[in-house]
Amino acid sequence: MEKKYWQSLQAYQNKSTKSLFEKQPEKEFTIDGLDDSEVKGNSSRRDFLKSLGFSVGAVALVSSCQMPVRKAIPFLNKPEEITPGVANYYASTFYDGHDYCSILVKNREGRPIKIEGNELSKLTYGGTNARTQASVLNLYDDARLKNPMKNGQESDWDTVDSEIMGKLNAFSDIQGSFAIVTGTLISPSTKRLIADFIEANPKTEWVSYDAVSYHAIRKAHQQTVNKPVIPFYRFDKADVIVSFGADFLGNWLLPVTFTKQFTGRRKLDNGHNSMNKLMVIESNLSLTGSNADERIAIKPSEESSLLLALYNKIAALTGNEQFDGPEVSIDLSQMAEQLVNASGKSLVVCGTNSLQNQLIVNSINRILNNYGRTLEMSRTINLNQGSDEKMLSLIDRMNNGEINMLMCWNTNPVYDLPQSDRFVEGLKRVDTVISFADRMDETASQSTYVCPDHNYLESWDDAEPLTGVYSITQPAIHNIFNTRQAQDSLLRWMDSDLDWRDYLESVWEEHIFPNQSFWQGFRPFWNQCKHDGVFELEPNPEDETITFNQVRLTATPSATENGFELSVYEKVAIGTGKHSNNPWLMELPDPVTKATWDNYLTISPSDAQSLGLQQEDVVKFADELELPVLIQAGQAKGTLGIALGFGHSGAGPVANGIGVNAFRLMRFDEGHKLTTRPGVTLEKTGRSYPLALTQVKHTMEGRDVVKETSLAAFLQNPASGNEDQKYKEKHATTLYPEAKYDGFHWGLAIDLNSCTGCGNCVVSCQAENNVSVVGKDEVRRNRIMHWIRIDRYYSEDPDNPKVFNQPVMCQHCDNAPCENVCPVAATNHSSEGLNQMAYNRCIGTKYCMNNCPYRVRRFNWFSYINNPKFNFNKNSDLGKMVLNPDVTVRERGVVEKCSFCVQRIQEKKLTAKKENRKLEDLEIKTACMQSCPGDALVFGNMNDPESKVSLLMKSERRYRLVEELHTLPSVSYLTKVRNTSEA
Amino acid sequence: MVLVFMLPLLFAKGQTPEAEQNWRVCAACHSLGTNRLIGPGLEGVTERLEQDWLIRFIRNSQEVIESGDEYAVQLFEEYNRIPMPPNDLTDEQIIDLLLYIENGGQLAPEYAAAEPVAVEKSAELQRLEDKLAEREQMLLELDRDANRNMGTTFMIILIILLVVLADLFITKVIKARFVHITIILIGVAIIAEVAYREATALGRQQYYQPEQPIWFSHRIHAEQNKIDCMYCHTTVEESKHAGFPSVGLCMNCHNVVREGSITGRTEIDKIHAAWESGQPIEWIKVHNLPSHVYFNHAQHVAVGKMDCAECHGPVEKMDEVMQVENLSMGWCIDCHRTTEVQFSTNMFYEQYRELHEELHAGKRSRITVDDIGGNECQKCHY
Repeated sequence: MEKKYWQSLQAYQNKSTKSLFEKQPEKEFTIDGLDDSEVKGNSSRRDFLKSLGFSVGAVALVSSCQMPVRKAIPFLNKPEEITPGVANYYASTFYDGHDYCSILVKNREGRPIKIEGNELSKLTYGGTNARTQASVLNLYDDARLKNPMKNGQESDWDTVDSEIMGKLNAFSDIQGSFAIVTGTLISPSTKRLIADFIEANPKTEWVSYDAVSYHAIRKAHQQTVNKPVIPFYRFDKADVIVSFGADFLGNWLLPVTFTKQFTGRRKLDNGHNSMNKLMVIESNLSLTGSNADERIAIKPSEESSLLLALYNKIAALTGNEQFDGPEVSIDLSQMAEQLVNASGKSLVVCGTNSLQNQLIVNSINRILNNYGRTLEMSRTINLNQGSDEKMLSLIDRMNNGEINMLMCWNTNPVYDLPQSDRFVEGLKRVDTVISFADRMDETASQSTYVCPDHNYLESWDDAEPLTGVYSITQPAIHNIFNTRQAQDSLLRWMDSDLDWRDYLESVWEEHIFPNQSFWQGFRPFWNQCKHDGVFELEPNPEDETITFNQVRLTATPSATENGFELSVYEKVAIGTGKHSNNPWLMELPDPVTKATWDNYLTISPSDAQSLGLQQEDVVKFADELELPVLIQAGQAKGTLGIALGFGHSGAGPVANGIGVNAFRLMRFDEGHKLTTRPGVTLEKTGRSYPLALTQVKHTMEGRDVVKETSLAAFLQNPASGNEDQKYKEKHATTLYPEAKYDGFHWGLAIDLNSCTGCGNCVVSCQAENNVSVVGKDEVRRNRIMHWIRIDRYYSEDPDNPKVFNQPVMCQHCDNAPCENVCPVAATNHSSEGLNQMAYNRCIGTKYCMNNCPYRVRRFNWFSYINNPKFNFNKNSDLGKMVLNPDVTVRERGVVEKCSFCVQRIQEKKLTAKKENRKLEDLEIKTACMQSCPGDALVFGNMNDPESKVSLLMKSERRYRLVEELHTLPSVSYLTKVRNTSEA
Repeated sequence: MVLVFMLPLLFAKGQTPEAEQNWRVCAACHSLGTNRLIGPGLEGVTERLEQDWLIRFIRNSQEVIESGDEYAVQLFEEYNRIPMPPNDLTDEQIIDLLLYIENGGQLAPEYAAAEPVAVEKSAELQRLEDKLAEREQMLLELDRDANRNMGTTFMIILIILLVVLADLFITKVIKARFVHITIILIGVAIIAEVAYREATALGRQQYYQPEQPIWFSHRIHAEQNKIDCMYCHTTVEESKHAGFPSVGLCMNCHNVVREGSITGRTEIDKIHAAWESGQPIEWIKVHNLPSHVYFNHAQHVAVGKMDCAECHGPVEKMDEVMQVENLSMGWCIDCHRTTEVQFSTNMFYEQYRELHEELHAGKRSRITVDDIGGNECQKCHY
């Protein structure tokens, strides 16, 4: 039977009753938001005369006016490395306490304007994620503090410094102590600095804690291998992967690294014919779950018993000790068998912060012989070192009045602690609270002093995300505001003569440089490190051997309470909410729900039906919180999901007041921060709240744009799932002459097997091409401006569907339907196969949009720049600094779309011409391709038979969207292959 | 005739290309004429001074000054006590160099060119070219003035028209009606022409010649002192912008050149004021393109091997820079249609296999920018 696909549940319900083709098509354009006069156009004769008179007058006025005088202000003394008009790239590191990524910062005329992946990094290999891409906009955030603050009033550094130093000096005389609370620090130099600080101020203690805790993984390893570590997971070495709720492609630990590893094993080009298999067991549909070959939806409370059952099954097969556990309803014997068959080449991970569960996972990996193979122990992950227990004890002591001074660094406990009320109580009993927040966030607004830290693009820093893997953060711009790096503040308060940069250098010289033998002198070594941004030490193979302590494994039976089990999760865009004030992230459609701008409660379709809930109905749940529901296919029955990172009050105008703060729903259990909450009941309020989803729009009217197959079928026939392609190509007829290209014919191949749908390309494109943010209302009106969207299709069971992600941008058709209908030839074809869009010729008829079968053209319904109605980055002088000067900012009334990053094509062509050489393959990288963590996109010259894109185009998996229209797109897709046995 | 012209040159020996090479070092501070730069002009220097003294001074001027040589000390004081750096040259090299200076910077004929006639011709040509450039500049100024006077023309014609109309209907001084009609027709035609010109020039700035914050003359720098365009516009071969010189770059020379021949100290002092106050100079941009146009200097100069003057006109003849071309899209496209690309010399173009084949087969005689898509929208608009 042919598979049916649908994009949204509404579409699914329609599908079940009648064919999609019969469906009344939705209006493509709406006229909401325009003035009456603009819409109706009922102007009278008098109006006509008025406007005629006005235009004649205006023309006369304009022609008598002088052109504005434009100035050219050269440097006083030109720095050697800056050439106006030519970008510089500086290697740096993005680390915000949660995400790590090695990056290159693209600088134009001294402004960072784009983040690119650092291809020299052995961790991220040139990939980034959406949050890293968007981080450049955080630099130009108007909500950042411009000066140090004292008791909520602007102050200056001298005052703040002298008062704080006075208090530190008085410490020796008084009872009580000083606590530094930080997010996880992975900077070896900063750690040394804190140690020095503690030495200088002996009553100081340091507590690190994470908004989302991984404490249980470390604790479990402490018990089993005597080391409180998180092993370096090697998804690239695993043939079979089982994930219990660990969203390693989206948020879990090192998502960029893991996506590189995971997708690297799913490439089927170049003669590869094997791939890994991913099985996911989870309650909320996560990005990882949507990429799973097999997915089982469970309630969170069932997890431990299932884990133990899996352990017992594997133990039975391998002859290991078994433990008693509760009965389970799901048969995991096949999964166990596959894992055992791939012993040493399998990997089981679990995202739940529960010691019990993590101990079982450790034991499973041990009896599968995975330690030292798919779990590296010689190099362990340094992220998320926070200790929940220490934080809890600190809160207790704060409430007991034992803490006199508290410093919050790169952390916002008032916002993201589950029991922040107790923390706030405790804060009141602390004399002096110092915050290093870059904005008046929830904690900073309750602090005595706020000493704003630099943005990471203004900072010197280092990082050791993995043992022996170092990377350097270097400033790409002078600090914009009167801020000071937190480390410099500490040095100042220690009365040190050193500034932080020298301190950092000395740490590298004394502690890191001696560990290597390649470089003889420190200077060249240090310069090379700054140039590369990364430095790696060889792991010590002896560390790989572990002694494993067998522990008693237990499991809790699944919850029997009535009501729903709610679990909080991180969104791929918003994460823990540290960068919620970033409009790019807010408007990025969530890869799973395709919702923008909002927080909501996800509920399974069957539960929604039984409760009579419609999408967008507002419900009241735990602790009188109210949120609209979003009916999410794949949500386990009886469970609810809610995203972290919303409900801010101090993040800035973009984020404040949106949704509820889901950190409040987390709880501590035996010293562990838990992300689930059983026994939640829902109560209808009778109101509804509009949500801005992108996926119910831009529909492709049921054409077969989705092609997939199973690995078994692929091995039989590489063209499986794509059998009709040849037929369609053969029978294509056209009235138009065949387009011929000499020189270049640009093309893009997208491997759907490597695309996880993470949304990195969307933000990367937005940053590169000055794509406007339009806000929630406009997204609801189907007017989102993104040049690249990721279509998500479901198939099969709505309660646990198969998911299919497909990035769609302008297809640059050789027979482009849009070009034929433009009355002013504003869109036409280039001799290099590009579908060009000349904004200044466009008169806004939108005929091209109507005629485009791929719905990739976007209309500027408003002027999105300098318009207070769209109060995002393009409406502020600071925010506009992020604009790419090589790309026109589009005005109201014109159509825009993907240009294949023509500015990058032209730039690299010019470089080759200047160097008098041929353009090399893969030299031009479009923004979406450069930082793709899955290496799913390949851009190149299709006229060059040796180019990578040409080779991919020859694949039997290759197809083009709606081939039967014979539009001849330059974008091709390679079928998705799921690692399943059935066809 | 040729021989007669060459006779004096044949007797002068030396003046090798090596001398020319060495002269470039000297040229940073000295001219071959009589005008002062950082150091004195060197015309007639071999007549003024002994060769031995010159050799000693050129090799190490400080030594001569320290020895108490009266003339050397006087020279040193006169030229702001700026020491001339020592030169590691042999006697032969210095004599060779002096000969080169003596002959006004000309190479000996055996080096000058294989074809001695060319020397004569090129000098002649140079004069002609100079004359042409002069003329071009004059014509440009005429054009500019005509353009600027367009408004006045418009007003005069308008008044004449009104007078004629008044006479036609009211005063009736001139009896013959064809006079009125002729004047009206001509007047309307002129007004229409003026309106058309003004309308097409809307948003363009041909003949734009703003007053700059510093009276900087390209004529003095580029023509008289023969400073290469790229000495100041440093990034023209690497960036989209040709680059405005930083104040620091001006100071390379004006650290010592404190007085101009026309404006005296007033204008040069402004550079020093900027340098000392740290306030960069706000030049007024003469050549402006709309923000939706992407133009790249490197593409045109480094790759296309175009001369600056092809778009900017005879800048070296201008005291104040004027925009010569209208910089309209039609102007760009016209040039792209006729300009040949460096098709066979630049390896980049090897990718165009079919065009190369056609070129070899003789189907095409040349490849223009237009032929490789240089006139497509997204070559300049993105």
